[in-house]
Amino acid sequence: MITTNRIVLRPVLPSDYLRLYAIESDPATALTWRYRGAMPPIEEYEAALWKQTQQIMVVEGRDTGTVVGYLQLHDLDLRAGHGWVSLYSGPEHRGSGLVMEGGLAFTEWAFNEWPIRWLYAHSFEHNVHSFESGIRRGSAVRLGVLRERMLVDGEFTDVHVIGIERERWFASTVRRRFNTLRERENRSSALFNRDTQEYCPREPDKD
Amino acid sequence: MTESPIPGAQPGWRLISAADVPFVYELVTLVDPRWWRFSRKGLEPSILLENAQSVAAGVIIHNETGRPVACGVLTDAGASTTGTLEYFARPDERSLSLARQFAPEIIRAAFTGSPIRRLYHERFEGDPDVLGEMANLFEVEVTYPSFAQVAGRLEQRTVSALTRERFSEWAATSTGEAHT
Repeated sequence: MITTNRIVLRPVLPSDYLRLYAIESDPATALTWRYRGAMPPIEEYEAALWKQTQQIMVVEGRDTGTVVGYLQLHDLDLRAGHGWVSLYSGPEHRGSGLVMEGGLAFTEWAFNEWPIRWLYAHSFEHNVHSFESGIRRGSAVRLGVLRERMLVDGEFTDVHVIGIERERWFASTVRRRFNTLRERENRSSALFNRDTQEYCPREPDKD
Repeated sequence: MTESPIPGAQPGWRLISAADVPFVYELVTLVDPRWWRFSRKGLEPSILLENAQSVAAGVIIHNETGRPVACGVLTDAGASTTGTLEYFARPDERSLSLARQFAPEIIRAAFTGSPIRRLYHERFEGDPDVLGEMANLFEVEVTYPSFAQVAGRLEQRTVSALTRERFSEWAATSTGEAHT
C-alpha cells in the first residue's frame, strides 16, 4: 500500500469488483479498453478481470474513500524481466490527476515489489498526453508508435508504446519529488489527530 | 546419417499440420530463446501446445529431401485486421537460405489468405536474417532496448510492420517468385 496526500494505492478486494465493473462499463471509453465494448456479464467479470493479470491495485481518493480508478500489472515476463501496466480512470475523475498520481505510486510499488527491469504501457493516440510529462522529464520513454494499430469506433488509431526503465525510474527527479512529498505527508499524518481534526504538537502517545 | 534427395523433389512449402508439432518443438529448442512466444515461459511442452492455440495459420518449409527446415506462423490475427508473422529456421546456412528464398511466397500467402492490412514481424537484434529481400519492406515501429538476455547478453527487440499497400507495390514490380 502507498499513501500520498490525495490517494491510497492498495490491492483490489472482491468488494471493489462492482466499482471496477462500473468504471470499465463507461460508454465513453468502453470501446477503447480491453473488452472493446463487449463487457462480460458481471458473473464472469472476476475471471475476465484477472486474465493474464498478476496484480490489480486500486486508487482510492483519500477525501472520499471512493475508488477513482485502478491499475493492472499484467503479462509479466520474468524471463525478460518486464511487465505491462494498464490504467483505468473513473469517468468523473478523469483530468483530476488522481489516477496519474496512482500511476506514480504504482510504478514505485512495481519496481520495489517485482523483479522487473521494464514496465511497459500501451496508450492510444488520444490518451498519450497523460504520459508526455513523464517523457519530457525523462522518467518514461516512448519506444515507438504502432501506426493505425487498433480499430476504435470504426476508425484506425495509433498505439504508442511507453516504457519505464527501472534504473531510470529510481534515478528520476519525478520519483524523488514524489517520495519527498509522500514522506512529508506521512510525517504530518502521524501528527494529525483524525478524531479531533487537529495537529498534535508532538508524536501521539502510544497508549 | 545423411539424407538423399528424393528424385524430382524440390524444396518448397506446405501448410502446417498437427503432425508438425514435434518439428516445431524441436525448432523452438534449436533457436531458444529467440522464438520468444514459445521460449518466454520455458520449454515445458504443454505450455508450447497452449501457446500454439493462438496460431491462426502456419507453413512448413522443407528441403529437397522433404525434411522440414523452417516454420512460419501467423499469430494475433484479430478484429483490427493485423497479424504477426513469426518465422524461424534451423540454425544452419542451408535452412536459413531456404527460409529467405521462400519468404516472399510466405508473406504473399499471409496477405492473400487473410484480410490483414498490416503484417508485423518481431525480432531480436541477433536473430539471423530469414526474410532476405523482404526485410527491407518492413518498417521498424517499436524498439525495446535491452529486452531480454540471449546467450549472456541483453539484446534489443524490434517490432516492424509491412502494410498491404507497400507489399502490393513491391509485388507489382517483382515476379514474386522464389529465387535464391
